[in-house]
Amino acid sequence: MSLSPTTLDRLRDIVGTEHVRVAPGELAAFARDATPLFQARPDAVVHPADTDQVARILRLATAERIPVVPRGAGSNLCAATVAIRGGIVLALTRLDRILEVSREELLARVEPGVTTAAMADAADAAGLLYPPDPGSRIVSTVGGNVATSAGGLRGLKYGVTRNYVLGLTAVLPTGEVIRTGGRLWKDVAGYDLTRLLTGSEGTLAVLTEITVALLPKPAMARTGLAYFADLAAAGRAVSRVIAGGLLPATLEFLDQRCIDAVERYAGLGLRTDVGALLLFGDDGDESTVDVQLRRIADACVAEGAIDVTTAGDAARSEALLAARRCSLPALSRLGALTILEDASVPRPRLAEMVDRIDAIAARHEVTIATFGHAGDGNRHSTCVLPDPRDSDAIARAERAFAEVFAAAIELGGTITGEHGVGAAKLPYLEARLGTEQLALLRRIKSAFDPAGILNPGKLGS
Amino acid sequence: MTTMDNNAHPLFEPELLDRCISCGFCLPACPTYRLTGEETSSPRGRITLMRALQDGTLEPDDPTLREQSSFCLGCRACEPVCPAGVQYGQLLERWRVHQWRGRRRPLLVRLLTRAAAQRRAIQLAGWLRRAARRPAARGPADAPHLMLGCFERVLFPRVSTAARSLAPELAAPASQGCCGALHAHNGELAEGERLARRLGEALPGRIVTTSGGCAAHLAGVLGRDRVMELSEYLDGRTLTGAGSASVAGGRTAALGEVLVNGRRARVALQDSCHLRNGLGVWREPRQLLRAVADYVELPDAGSCCGAAGTYSLLRPKDSRRVLAPKLDQIEAAGIDYLVVVNPGCQRQLITALRRRRSRVRVLHLAELLSLARVRTG
Repeated sequence: MSLSPTTLDRLRDIVGTEHVRVAPGELAAFARDATPLFQARPDAVVHPADTDQVARILRLATAERIPVVPRGAGSNLCAATVAIRGGIVLALTRLDRILEVSREELLARVEPGVTTAAMADAADAAGLLYPPDPGSRIVSTVGGNVATSAGGLRGLKYGVTRNYVLGLTAVLPTGEVIRTGGRLWKDVAGYDLTRLLTGSEGTLAVLTEITVALLPKPAMARTGLAYFADLAAAGRAVSRVIAGGLLPATLEFLDQRCIDAVERYAGLGLRTDVGALLLFGDDGDESTVDVQLRRIADACVAEGAIDVTTAGDAARSEALLAARRCSLPALSRLGALTILEDASVPRPRLAEMVDRIDAIAARHEVTIATFGHAGDGNRHSTCVLPDPRDSDAIARAERAFAEVFAAAIELGGTITGEHGVGAAKLPYLEARLGTEQLALLRRIKSAFDPAGILNPGKLGS
Repeated sequence: MTTMDNNAHPLFEPELLDRCISCGFCLPACPTYRLTGEETSSPRGRITLMRALQDGTLEPDDPTLREQSSFCLGCRACEPVCPAGVQYGQLLERWRVHQWRGRRRPLLVRLLTRAAAQRRAIQLAGWLRRAARRPAARGPADAPHLMLGCFERVLFPRVSTAARSLAPELAAPASQGCCGALHAHNGELAEGERLARRLGEALPGRIVTTSGGCAAHLAGVLGRDRVMELSEYLDGRTLTGAGSASVAGGRTAALGEVLVNGRRARVALQDSCHLRNGLGVWREPRQLLRAVADYVELPDAGSCCGAAGTYSLLRPKDSRRVLAPKLDQIEAAGIDYLVVVNPGCQRQLITALRRRRSRVRVLHLAELLSLARVRTG
């Protein structure tokens, strides 16, 4: 389907000629996001400047039944921003203002195109902390983070994006502008639409302004490293830490392949002769942080850690966290095609899940490397294939992932912890939610989007 | 062109293209993405375009391909931040070979690359401009040579004489030619490699260069161990302790301080993109500057100044847009000298600061260090 000249003219009237792109090359660049194996060229890329323009575009799209796919930085890992039914990619990167950072009210108000790092830096400059820190924070946008309820490395202690969204300005597919929530922690007037829109992956409304809660900045943050013989031992150490009444900000693990890949990129002097690494960290007052880290280190030793160290200074701590954030792209050095999933299980089942994945990988003859957020049970299994054009290997990897999802659900977990459903995991959603809940999702979707124009083929489809 | 042709003779080595997983970690590092905020003008977007060209889903003469292959500065700031290890610089060189094939190459580029390949003409111009020259070394086979460059010899002949004053042991035969970086970056990859090998034969052993761009290109063709940029060569050799003594058998000059109105000069550095992003050399020039002056780190010292080889000539407007925020930083830093390590940056910054009537003087690292040279009797 391509857009008619009249439709394109109308779009140009709304946003200005230079902000409507239809050249084949422009469309090609927006055909994919960070998800492998999903690609579809939109019919137009439109860059609106404000809420009003977004509303007019959506009204037009509903009237003419044109699919609209909202997009931030395109760094998501579930093909949430691929225009699989064509139509318009609505690029929100021009809405990139930080409107307010309030120390008095502990909040920030931003437009959706601001990068997570830019907002976090602005908060930091005001002596405040925005806790969610997805690995892609330097490139991902706040709008995209809210749309996928992005997680990150501090989820255990601080939660994820949904725990910080106070209010939203959102444009409905039919063009109405709604404001949900606001500036208050306590506000129970009506259904919690803020929470509904958070994680709705651009299928219910287009976010044009976001208010997030901030916290006072902790005095310091430090990390430490523990090495284990295998991932299961690291998993047991995590359980011991939590059972011991500790709630550190960060508990990340990497298996041997991931350590090797990260070390090859970052050159931090990590040990590569071990089976697993646990990166732990906490923030707070100097005295508390030291005590916390020592207690975590003790728990690791009790579970047979081969080697435990704590980072001496902030720079080293930040370097370790930065290296961890690069795990996925660093892993891609091992092959030519990198497929990732992020099924999650309750923490106590982590070690069991690791064993299951090993068995699945062996059965399907694929190499699966695992890293992830051990503290919250959200692991990232990554399948690296040597030849991106080997359709047989891709099919084996996909069968393996289907079994990983089934195993996660069986262990009381979920098919995706933080990356989202998008187009990539939609086929597995029913197994997770059940028929009735999926039907309800569809009814909610049609209440927001009667014409079904907003990100079709994703959630609610 | 059809997909089948592409499969038989792929434009890009598939291994180079397959490295990119589209994570987007490169976006914030890219000057043209920062300028436009547009995917198409980001390294990730450009690699998506290259893939479409490779698999035939975009026409070879697609206008977006043409525009983006030229809009890219080629600064390679995306490389050190890429955890996947994408060698973007190599991809861009191949892309330009395709995009600027035959008559599609800008006329100016054709003239410049042809001029740079004229060894005799450069030799003559260097002689007229009084660039350094000194016959080939007769000592051991691996004695270091100073590369004089083509455009640097003509535009900034004092750089090579300053380099020689700092390291008199360097031989600088006048008959050497262009290293071919200009060609490789402007769609003549094969010629660029041929010229680099020719230079490698003319200057056997270690080649010391005063140009970051040339250093990176030469290292790519001849091997990293054959090439040393001047700051790498001087670093640890010239300076010991408080930056005064001379080492390495007393061959290199001792350095004191650079003074302005009786006080220590305040200096800042503009990195050379290929030196920093291609060869990972950025600490060395800073260490040298700290030894002889009060060093100020500019907020964007590591990002492209917009010179980018022929870019400032081919796309003067974009080149100035890239440079503009830097100029404010330079003025705000309260420095006496802005130091560069590449002739392109030198030309770009001299021109722009002169236009602004700035009091900041632009000098090559060799020139600044030679101001700090202690004359021993």
